[in-house]
Amino acid sequence: MENHVSFPALASLAKTYPQAASSLFATYNDLQHAQRWEDLTVVDLPECKRGALKGRRPNSKDTLFVLPCSMSEPLSTSWLSNALKELDEPDGIYLAISTEDSSIVYYRISRGFAKPSL
Amino acid sequence: MDSSSSTPDKIRLSVSNHQAHVWNVPDIARLRSEHRICGLLGGTLPHLAQQNVFLGVPLILMPEEVVLLVQNEVAVLVDDANAHDTPGPEEKQLWEDQRATMIQKQLVQKAKAKEDEGISPNNKSTSEAAIRKRQERELKKAAAAAAQKAKQESGDADLSVFNTEATSSGDPAVESGRETPSSKGPSQPYAITIPTSSNSVSWYHSDAHAFSTLDAARESGIWLYPSNEEERARCGVFRALWEKDYYLGNGIKFGGEYLVYPGDPLRYHSHFVATVHISPENPLRPMEIVAHGRLGTATKKAHLICTWDDKTSSVDILSIEWSGFG
Repeated sequence: MENHVSFPALASLAKTYPQAASSLFATYNDLQHAQRWEDLTVVDLPECKRGALKGRRPNSKDTLFVLPCSMSEPLSTSWLSNALKELDEPDGIYLAISTEDSSIVYYRISRGFAKPSL
Repeated sequence: MDSSSSTPDKIRLSVSNHQAHVWNVPDIARLRSEHRICGLLGGTLPHLAQQNVFLGVPLILMPEEVVLLVQNEVAVLVDDANAHDTPGPEEKQLWEDQRATMIQKQLVQKAKAKEDEGISPNNKSTSEAAIRKRQERELKKAAAAAAQKAKQESGDADLSVFNTEATSSGDPAVESGRETPSSKGPSQPYAITIPTSSNSVSWYHSDAHAFSTLDAARESGIWLYPSNEEERARCGVFRALWEKDYYLGNGIKFGGEYLVYPGDPLRYHSHFVATVHISPENPLRPMEIVAHGRLGTATKKAHLICTWDDKTSSVDILSIEWSGFG
């Protein structure tokens, strides 16, 4: 990981939150190179004890937040609620769940009742 | 027994074996239209084993629905078994008289209907040829009977019910030769209606066995829900969703606890599927998020994770949707 080209951007957060480092690393690379997100930056979430990511989807103006986690970790609804709070109540955040074979799935989490998509 | 429970307006929920039923059709309509409680109809016909589409009373309520209705003072819980007292001799007699009247009425109606159609009450055609033939037969019978009577000394029991055409030698029955319909007993079949609701039964006293609070019902042992944290969580979440003006149904077809409809389920598809999470600290596996999120999105619904906080008695709702990318 340390020798990877992406690592400098993630170095400090990987050091502060070592348990979350691998999912952060996998998600960052996926968004940057596979999903081709723009203006991708890291965000420190001390309450959630991990780093999050912020950026824009290709051809979109909206800034979106991504919270990485691993398929094998136990989460809780209070943890998700706190993440929303710490990111200052955006419309929604994307939980990036990474698996051992490097697949990542993204699910949108929002507070309250989601508006139905058209 | 709760003496303050006899407000005529409250809907009676008949509790039997910890399950609440509504037998009264206007009440069922009220529950749906005034209180957004739909329940599930559970009545089937005994000979149609697999009715899934068209069901009748009773309406069966979810325990969360019952708790909400009692807490809102819309309904009372009736200890149905004990509300049926043992009928006294007078009540029994009245019941039998009523039944006999019903049967008689049916027989009279049937007789009238048959007359109108040209058939006599004893199922005999009233056409001329038929009448003539019948008379000839009866004359023959009378002659044969008289001959036999002359043979036999003693008069056996008048078994006029057995109106045999030819009397065999070994037959002890003595024919009277006359048809006496009344001594035959009713020759027409009649229907006995079993009433759906016990309200018409004079020894059913629901008011004396109705409980208007959950505590009172719990003390008497007829209704114990909610009895633990999980059940409290379900009641809390149900109420929180209901108070937002939604209609709620059972969510099993879509992998959740409840389906959340923006209006009457007969008119709308549900927008959400809700699952109950017992506490904010309860572990939530990412796989659950994947499963709920994908299924919700595939069925054009969003999944709601509704967390109950027992300490603050409040509900927190989070929506899960598939992101659309990844």
